Amino acid sequence: MTLDSRIPGGPITEKWDRRKFENKLVNPANRRKYDIIVVGTGLAGSSAAASLGEMGYNVKLFGIHESPRRAHSIAAQGGINAAKNYRNDGDSIYRLFYDTVKGGDYRAREANVYRLAQLSVQIIDQCVAQGVPFAREYGGLLDNRSFGGAQVSRTFYARGQTGQQLLLGAYQSMMRQVHAGTVQLFPRREMLDLVVVDGQARGIICRNLVTGELESHSASTVLLCTGGYGTVFYLSTNAINSNVTAAWRAHKRGAYFANPCFTQIHPTCIPVSGDHQSKLTLMSESLRNDGRVWVPKNPGDKRHPSQIPDSERDYYLERRYPSFGNLVPRDVASRAAKSVCDEGRGVGDSGLSVYLDFADAIKRFGAPTIKGRYGNLFDMYMRITDEDPYQVPMRIYPAVHYTMGGLWVDYNLQSTIPGLFVLGEANFSDHGANRLGASALMQGLCDGYFVAPYTVANYLGGASLPAVSTSHDSFKEAVAAAQARIDKVLAVRGSKSIREYHRAVGALCWDHVGMARNEQGLKGAIQSIRSLRDEFWQNVSVPGEKNNLNPALDYAGRVADYLEFAEVLALDALERHESCGGHFREEYQTPDGEALRRDDEYSYVAAWEFTGVGQMPTLHKEALTFDEVHPSQRSYK
Amino acid sequence: MRLLQTFSTSIGTKILIAVTGLGLTVFLLTHLAGNLLFLAGPDAFNRYAHTLTSNPLIYVAEAGLLAVFFVHIAKTLSNYLANRAARPVAYTTHRWAKTKNPASRKSWASTTMVVTGSIMALFVVTHLQTFKFGPVYEGADGIRDLYRLQMEIFGQPAYVVFYLMAMALIFSHLWHGIVSATQSLGWYHPQWTPRVIVAGRVLTALIAGGFFMIPIYTFLLSRSAQ
Amino acid sequence: MAMTITLNVWRQAGPSAPGRFESYTSDKVHPDMSFLEMLDVVNDDLIRAGKDPIAFDSDCREGICGSCGLVIDGIPHGPDPGATTCQVHMRRFRNGDTITIEPWRAKAFPVIKDLVVDRTAFDRIIAAGGYVSMNVGGAPDGNSVPVPKELADLAMDNAQCIGCGACVAACKNAAAHLFTSAKITHLGVLPQGEPERYRRAAAMVEQMDAEGFGSCSNEGECEAVCPKQISIASIARMNRDFMRAATSK
Repeated sequence: MTLDSRIPGGPITEKWDRRKFENKLVNPANRRKYDIIVVGTGLAGSSAAASLGEMGYNVKLFGIHESPRRAHSIAAQGGINAAKNYRNDGDSIYRLFYDTVKGGDYRAREANVYRLAQLSVQIIDQCVAQGVPFAREYGGLLDNRSFGGAQVSRTFYARGQTGQQLLLGAYQSMMRQVHAGTVQLFPRREMLDLVVVDGQARGIICRNLVTGELESHSASTVLLCTGGYGTVFYLSTNAINSNVTAAWRAHKRGAYFANPCFTQIHPTCIPVSGDHQSKLTLMSESLRNDGRVWVPKNPGDKRHPSQIPDSERDYYLERRYPSFGNLVPRDVASRAAKSVCDEGRGVGDSGLSVYLDFADAIKRFGAPTIKGRYGNLFDMYMRITDEDPYQVPMRIYPAVHYTMGGLWVDYNLQSTIPGLFVLGEANFSDHGANRLGASALMQGLCDGYFVAPYTVANYLGGASLPAVSTSHDSFKEAVAAAQARIDKVLAVRGSKSIREYHRAVGALCWDHVGMARNEQGLKGAIQSIRSLRDEFWQNVSVPGEKNNLNPALDYAGRVADYLEFAEVLALDALERHESCGGHFREEYQTPDGEALRRDDEYSYVAAWEFTGVGQMPTLHKEALTFDEVHPSQRSYK
Repeated sequence: MRLLQTFSTSIGTKILIAVTGLGLTVFLLTHLAGNLLFLAGPDAFNRYAHTLTSNPLIYVAEAGLLAVFFVHIAKTLSNYLANRAARPVAYTTHRWAKTKNPASRKSWASTTMVVTGSIMALFVVTHLQTFKFGPVYEGADGIRDLYRLQMEIFGQPAYVVFYLMAMALIFSHLWHGIVSATQSLGWYHPQWTPRVIVAGRVLTALIAGGFFMIPIYTFLLSRSAQ
Repeated sequence: MAMTITLNVWRQAGPSAPGRFESYTSDKVHPDMSFLEMLDVVNDDLIRAGKDPIAFDSDCREGICGSCGLVIDGIPHGPDPGATTCQVHMRRFRNGDTITIEPWRAKAFPVIKDLVVDRTAFDRIIAAGGYVSMNVGGAPDGNSVPVPKELADLAMDNAQCIGCGACVAACKNAAAHLFTSAKITHLGVLPQGEPERYRRAAAMVEQMDAEGFGSCSNEGECEAVCPKQISIASIARMNRDFMRAATSK
């Protein structure tokens, strides 16, 4: 199968308009005849459900949480980009597009990114009209800030809780449709399989997490909005329940997985304090606007930071990247932190952290101003670490945060399975090898509010969709398979806890498929993942029963999927013999240690086709062309 | 929305309780003002009582007062039962959240509103028996000599103690009640509310203090008269 | 420097099953652990021993998703003001302490299992009117309606609600007034939410009552436990808006 990205023709500025016009429509009176399954209730899922519900489709929305509002989009802090140019500082749709393609290290599809930049403008309007309380200036207009190294102020925000406010906006719109009867909610359901009938995605199998019952739901089309796979690393800033299961099961049914090795490591997280730790906490990178990152010049310098004079400090970001300084993009900042820690200059008990120092900013602006800007972040830091960042420098270390890779989709967000659409972080499409700050929220809402409603309608209007009931053999087969897997994991009754396996696979990924990767490490990791997977099925201990609320059983299923997925993650990293964005291969670096991209050979999307657990998946390549933004080495010096 | 429907909601119920509670507070104030005439001597006190009770409108006023009492009690009762039903299984360990965050206004007074209110309702019955429907002494000009009755009643230490206890309950009930009513009625202002809270408590202290003073004063007066 | 902690935990097999307290002791507790990580440790030991682990909800573990919520020694979300259960750290306790853990208790929040309760009543309150009735596509430019910063800030103060239900858990009447009023205030003070302000208040209050929550005794225990410290000023505003709705129809 060749990958057809179905990018519309014409100049980049007109592609989306063209596609909208070419698209087939569904008559308003006919829309309620179509059932649409949306899996996942984060920004992408809630906004898609709201939008499709408003249009009059019959939407069934599934989520693992008790309430749609708990999806992990809620935790995004910093903001959402939009090319409004409200600051008169030279921003434009084209510039947001350009920055995103460049920031993604030239591994994203230009047409998708341009559309994202175009629609960013509408997202803000939509959210304001919904009552999202964005920060305002005294004049009553929307406030903006510069974020994540952008040279323009295009980030809209709601204190440090932008993700929360945007999600609540989408959730409320969606609940309005619940009230109107167009959206039906299925909370505490975990999708365990995708049902494909005659080559079309026609339903899902999900487990009712309260009763344990396996439920079959048929539909005309299925939208996966299930987020990323960051928790394969065990420790990440993702929520405890975030998982790859829905996407992975869809992959096993024929949806290709694209660029899994493009994972984002966020530079400003609170460092790990011990083995007991269940997750890492991100602090908004807006902290880097005023904080200065440093480590001692001399390895092993264990003095209290206040005892280290300025002359013995290495403000390494300012030194290495004089023009961007502390505001270099995430991948660069993270890697730099790793390298100074590798040199033995890391601070804290573990030696795995660097200072983020606000002393100068406090001197310049005064503590009240700094408190006004970052008060809630400082409080959060203090609560977790018991250290006062007004007095001693914060300690930070990179942590897995976002995954650019995901299920392969075409320009219409349709996967390689007709009728299966993938939205938000769950797809691979817009961020290339590295995502810029404040762009995840933009993409989730763009896909849900403004892209999927058009492209899903086009699919429904054009596809032949014979009626399928849940008594179809494909549903029965999928239910039996899901049941067998649950029974199998419960029957192991081994001696190790699920968490031990999760921690082990996480450590393998972090050590070998983390911030720096090399061939030997990746090959070893693949072997270790395989044997860990075998051991899991021999020796995991899953308590309880299948027919009631059993979080341990849910967890076991997710970890089992990670043990399969991790292999493709490592394989993809192994196959990509270049460094780009979040993927840094030690073999491919410039003399001064920067990422060395190899555009001649690797300017493509790697889409993996499932061939069986433990089998070598088949690699399909979608060549990337850059007509607008010409690839160059990213330089932040 | 129809009125009856409105007042059967949780908020409507509390609004009625607040309005009637504030009404009863106003009644207490006028009652206290009247009672303070005791300090002016038998003549003034008896004449005031007579003027009040001989006005035919008194029956209307009494009926109104009774209705206010009734609504206050009935609504509180239904509210109390609904609130009990809202938590069928009680906590085994329960501590005031005030202990973690002083933002809370919880107090012993707020916690015991139903208890203090119930006892006060019983008190009102005995109070009416003792005075309104108590022995009628004829005084000068043929009007009722309530002054004498009060001297007799509060000449007895047991009555004094009983009334002081009852007034302590009023103090407690109003301590939370007045401020709570303002909140139920939606009166909140970041600058004014802290002052309203203080004012409500000062008013509570004045009412209760006034009512405290009367039995004590009467008792001392009756002792010095002997 | 591990601590020894004894837990008295409410165990309940299902919504209609009788519940009881069970006691567990762990000597593997570290002061830097969060409260939920401490429960993870206890659960891992239970799993290894072949016993049923303690069921509790949690997700983001950074105080924003609103999933977690335990009554710790009689106080929802435990001893730290302005924090959720996942943000409480074991350094707040002393070696040798005994901690009692109960679920949120309210008729409208039935127990699903152990410490997990069903808070979908909150979703139904939002569905009744907690939104601005507008369809995707029809929005004017974001800057077309100026919003005074003070109002935007007040809206945000209320919009911060994470829907954890601690207000209900702390209220002696299991009332949902703080939750409901936070949404009524958030949307009611913004020009975008103004047109349906009173209709929204009436609809949401009606649903809140139908769910079986109690009434407000104006004690402010909800505000004291609210992880986002939402003020009961919002309840007063809800009462006003509700009265306005009742008298205008």
